[in-house]
Amino acid sequence: MKLVIDESRCKGCNLCVLVCPYGIFQEGTELNTRGVVVPVLDRPERCTNCRLQHLYGRVLCGLCHMICPDQAISWVEEKPFEPHRVEVEF
Amino acid sequence: MIAPDWLREDRLPHIYCTGCGNGSVINCTLAAVEEMGWKRDETAFISGIGCSSRAPGYILTDSLHTTHGRALAFATGVKMAKPDVNVVVFTGDGDLAAIGGNHFIHACRRNVDMTVICMNNQIYGMTGGQGSPTTPTGAFSTTTPYGASEPAFDLAELAVAAGANYVARWTSYHVKELTKAITTGMQTPGLAFIEVRTQCPTNFGRHNKLRSIPDMIEYLRGNAMLRAKYDRLVEEGADIPEGTFTVGELVRRRRPAMGVKQ
Repeated sequence: MKLVIDESRCKGCNLCVLVCPYGIFQEGTELNTRGVVVPVLDRPERCTNCRLQHLYGRVLCGLCHMICPDQAISWVEEKPFEPHRVEVEF
Repeated sequence: MIAPDWLREDRLPHIYCTGCGNGSVINCTLAAVEEMGWKRDETAFISGIGCSSRAPGYILTDSLHTTHGRALAFATGVKMAKPDVNVVVFTGDGDLAAIGGNHFIHACRRNVDMTVICMNNQIYGMTGGQGSPTTPTGAFSTTTPYGASEPAFDLAELAVAAGANYVARWTSYHVKELTKAITTGMQTPGLAFIEVRTQCPTNFGRHNKLRSIPDMIEYLRGNAMLRAKYDRLVEEGADIPEGTFTVGELVRRRRPAMGVKQ
């Protein structure tokens, strides 16, 4: 699964930065089109819930999801990894 | 998103200021409602006037947005007319403690079967930061420019004294505990009162040197003390820092309740 911040809802309060135990959310620096500084994701593949939700069949941690006052944080399904044939030229 | 079929996504983003805790409380309530497995047709959200009372407008069920302070009176009416409906009341501190104080103590006395969630931001946020009955002593606001000189209401203790069946207090920072408390409150027959201390950086924080959201959260987290620890400190006779409030489950009992679903 993948962590996503909905930029049309986020108001830039940075509560997710405060609560994330892995420090995945980092304070952003650039204004978006709505004039809001949306947090940026630092290596989001470390998120427990993204990695292990399917294995355990329930939401793990999920603090950012619960505390986000604007309901802007969610997880979306990713397409499973497709093996590609890679040709290495020497 | 939490409970997507309970939330009116077309109304989002909501009107709350940046960093307001009310949105987190809506999340926790909806998570608790989903855990209870209530149906949308059998649930009603009722609110009065204020920032907190905008919450039912973002929830896709029957809701009443009533006059200032009278949310509990309307909720009692709904419960008496249709005891099968699950009633959840959202109120703020100005709504519940100031103008609706009498309705509050009498709803607790009658022990009407509903869940009351009070988002206590310790100020009148919507009207521009006037001091409310829960503004702590010494705190600044628009109407108390030299610091509030009156002691504040402790709403949870008031509900315990008036006879509510379940009383808990948490802050909007403690989301997991709050969700559990709301679920327990919904399961308890009789009036369940959950006081949530929320941050208000815009109006409370601005006057009290807590303008930034992390400062405001730290203020809530630092002053919250678990009830067991508080009781132990009182027993030992140790000093309790000023401004500390207890969090956790304050009471759970079985007084006869009114309007319980058969």
